[in-house]
Amino acid sequence: MQYGMVIDIKKCVGCHACTIACKAEWEVPADKDRNWVHRLGPDNTPHGLASTYYPGLCNHCNEPACVPVCPADIIQKTFTDKKSGKTKTLEVAATYKDPFNGTVQIDKERCLGCGACADACPYNARYVNENQINEELGSEGTADKCTYCMPRVEMGLEPACVQTCLARARIFGDLDDPNSEVSRYKKMGAKSLSSVNVNIGSNGLYYGNKRDMALLTATSTPQVMPEANMRRILMAKMKPGFNKAKKLGMLGLVGAVAMKGMKEDKE
Amino acid sequence: MAFNLTRRKFLQTATLAAASVPLANVVTAQAGVAKSPFTPSGTMADKTMVGGICEMCFWRCQLVGKVRGNKLMKLEGNPKSIDNGQSICARGNAGVQLLYDRDRLKYPMKNVGQRGAPKWKRISWDEALDTCAKKLKATEQKFGAKGICMFPHGASAKYPMQYLEHTVGTPNVSEASFFQCRGIRDTAFLATIGTPPGENVDMANAKVIFGLGCHFGENVHVSHTKRYLKGLENGAKLIIVDPRFSASAAKADEWVAVKPGTDTALMLGMMNYIIQQGKHNKAFIDKHGIGFAEFKESIAEWTIEKTAQTCDVPADQIKRVADLLADNAPNVSIHPGRHVSWHGNDFQRQRSLGCMMGLLGAMGVKGSFVKGKGPKGVGKVGWPKGEHHVEAMHVAAGIYPYSPPGTPTDLIRDAAITGAPYPIKSCVIWGQNPIQTIPNQQKTIDMLKQMDFVMCVDVMPTDITMYADILLPEASYLERYDFIKTGTQWDLSGKQQQYISARMPMVMADFERKDQVYITNEIAKRMGYGDKIPVSALPEMVDMQLAGAGLSIAKLIAEDGIHLQPGIDPYGVADDLLVYFNNAEIADYGYPASPTYIAVEEVPAGHFRLLYGRSPVHTFNRTQNNVWLHHAMPENPVWINDEMAKELSLVNGDRVYCVNSEGVKSRNTTIVKVTPGIRKDCVYMAHGYGTKNPAMSVGAGAGIDDQALITILAVDPETGCHGMRNNFVKLVKA
Repeated sequence: MQYGMVIDIKKCVGCHACTIACKAEWEVPADKDRNWVHRLGPDNTPHGLASTYYPGLCNHCNEPACVPVCPADIIQKTFTDKKSGKTKTLEVAATYKDPFNGTVQIDKERCLGCGACADACPYNARYVNENQINEELGSEGTADKCTYCMPRVEMGLEPACVQTCLARARIFGDLDDPNSEVSRYKKMGAKSLSSVNVNIGSNGLYYGNKRDMALLTATSTPQVMPEANMRRILMAKMKPGFNKAKKLGMLGLVGAVAMKGMKEDKE
Repeated sequence: MAFNLTRRKFLQTATLAAASVPLANVVTAQAGVAKSPFTPSGTMADKTMVGGICEMCFWRCQLVGKVRGNKLMKLEGNPKSIDNGQSICARGNAGVQLLYDRDRLKYPMKNVGQRGAPKWKRISWDEALDTCAKKLKATEQKFGAKGICMFPHGASAKYPMQYLEHTVGTPNVSEASFFQCRGIRDTAFLATIGTPPGENVDMANAKVIFGLGCHFGENVHVSHTKRYLKGLENGAKLIIVDPRFSASAAKADEWVAVKPGTDTALMLGMMNYIIQQGKHNKAFIDKHGIGFAEFKESIAEWTIEKTAQTCDVPADQIKRVADLLADNAPNVSIHPGRHVSWHGNDFQRQRSLGCMMGLLGAMGVKGSFVKGKGPKGVGKVGWPKGEHHVEAMHVAAGIYPYSPPGTPTDLIRDAAITGAPYPIKSCVIWGQNPIQTIPNQQKTIDMLKQMDFVMCVDVMPTDITMYADILLPEASYLERYDFIKTGTQWDLSGKQQQYISARMPMVMADFERKDQVYITNEIAKRMGYGDKIPVSALPEMVDMQLAGAGLSIAKLIAEDGIHLQPGIDPYGVADDLLVYFNNAEIADYGYPASPTYIAVEEVPAGHFRLLYGRSPVHTFNRTQNNVWLHHAMPENPVWINDEMAKELSLVNGDRVYCVNSEGVKSRNTTIVKVTPGIRKDCVYMAHGYGTKNPAMSVGAGAGIDDQALITILAVDPETGCHGMRNNFVKLVKA
């Protein structure tokens, strides 16, 4: 199962209700966003004058850039498939991709608030809520982003942004199910905002007419992976060592030394 | 993206954390989303309050509230609603932040400073009510009831408005919703098709949707927008006439970039062409039309060539659009518009829209002008009419024969400032912010300065409250009973149903906020009208009104806030429907009997015509302090044509002031939006920004107040309503 969201920009009228409903549902700080609407144009495109919207949110990517950069402790986490009851145990840091529903989630209580994940995301879908300091961890805040409203979905409700959308322009469902509405849109040509350099399996898809899609993709497709990605590669290489170190109870020290080194390299 | 300070601090804390974090392999976690103080719970398990009716705008969608403890966490569309359904717009969602706005009025206040430069002193309700009653009574005794004027807005203003109009007996009441907005539409359609049209076009089932300046999407009313979108989904062709490539123009099949002010000419040219082509609905006109021959002759001068030249629209496009309308008639939605007080020639334009409906026979059939048939029986409760009836100024003077109810705003302002025909010395402002709704702010200030007494009742410290002597904090729409909302299912072709719902509080009013019935009754008692009081409290009023339909608040709550009942097919044309193509009565008053284009002033050299419109996150100027909405669109960029910007060396994001042709400079700056999506002769900005009251800590200083730049007055001669798009500005780099 892979949850995904299609936004039909033919229908979207750019009313911003999705962004505000989300703020209310999840107590997002007024100046931060789990989702957003950028107003695009009017501007010329190869298909004529266009004006449309970029309603964005976390794309719960297949290869999320945010997950491997998380420097929090690695733990064994057991996931349960809501349908079959099957379980799977994975080694995860404070942010991970759920092996059963494909969503990318954050363990808030273990988040250090360092913001590495927010830096790594080419879609800018994460922020650090600096009002949420975890004193036990000495955190800087807590990373936050769209959860695809999993707590609502698990109760049989729609994501808050989908429920409030007057245009029914937001379609949520399982991209692995060929009969789902999102899959139907995918077959009709709904596509993600991906480029040569940013191609990490975004599960946020957009559908619209030629001119609107031209404007959306030209203005809103990330073209480069954020620099933090360099660090991601290094971190990924070092992680086995990290795990070993942690088991020896030395995580903090080794981690800090390793990262400090990398940072100085960059500067 | 480089590591910032936060990352650096992480490195320090990571080291510190090492000492206290337990060994990793002893940590276990449950599957699913972990619950912690850092994981918000969502509102799913919160208590659901039914009976909410939104008033972030006048459309008034049906709500439920999610309440945790005593706190409203979230608003949602009422799942039982057959109007908005579970959807609400951005503003509706942001009602929570109006409720808890830290700048909201909390206590009765007395101005111990100057009007316009207030110093506020908290006083008791008794003192506040005593003062209001004493001052209003003094004006009434000295100058008569007509010495009191009122500027009301919204559901809560209806009860006090009736008190002043009916019982005290002043005709000097001016509603912005009429005189600066839709009044012209309503009276022009009354004089054309015999009924005010509302926004009752069956767009969901139309083959063509025609909008003159309609910018659905920037202008959002949920069930209305649902109709529009359903129509597009069903394949309706969309024609949008607008000098700007608006949210709707962006979805349109035809964007007609008309020269501002010439819309009536465009309508006449298209109607003449349709008649010349013999494509008008002769059977409908024969049966329902009045004065068609005179009308036909009157508009014959509007050839395609003349129309194209006047409107600066290609002749081919005019023909194409007219053909599209005629070829798809009668299943065509000619949208009557809503905010139509544009140029001071607006009555005639609104008449032309009504005539187009008649010409196409686009009334009563699917996809055309159709009024839903809502439930009957909801009773009325109101203040009794007094014995002394005073004629309104325009009636006494025999002017503005098609004025909407109330008195044209400028007559009140002029009388107050000049003392003629009589003095107006007390001003009651209830839910309206005349500073940002009425053109020429200086005149409004002059009017207020000469008053013996000014009182304001509001939820927020809007600009006008700076001029109050007494300022009263009102319960918001989320904290009181009142408005009864009735109607039908949103898609007129759907299963025919009717609904009745009444506003109920989501939470109790905090601080010392009071509702309109309490405030009005207490003032009435103190003014000697205690025996005329119709109800003692709001719930009583609502129950009395609902009783007419066999309902009560208790019954509505038991029905999840909305009563549903079988409906009536709304389609069909009444035999006695008359369409006045030529209306001789209008000529009797000295105005054109057939719709006539009256040219507007040309743009002076070096200037742009200032156009304004709606932002989807703001309602008028009422929402500018809402933190959630403010964050969504913190200012109102001024749109300028890309070629003109190049000439002026302006680029996207430049910060500018606007200066109008009378030398008035905007208080604040905004950013420039350079786009090919606007004509060269105008600039555009969203209305509802730039409050000057520093007590609005979020909205103050954010964006430009377009109303401050609208100083040249245009008054529509038939109606007395303002035209607000006859002002011209320059952009000056900040």
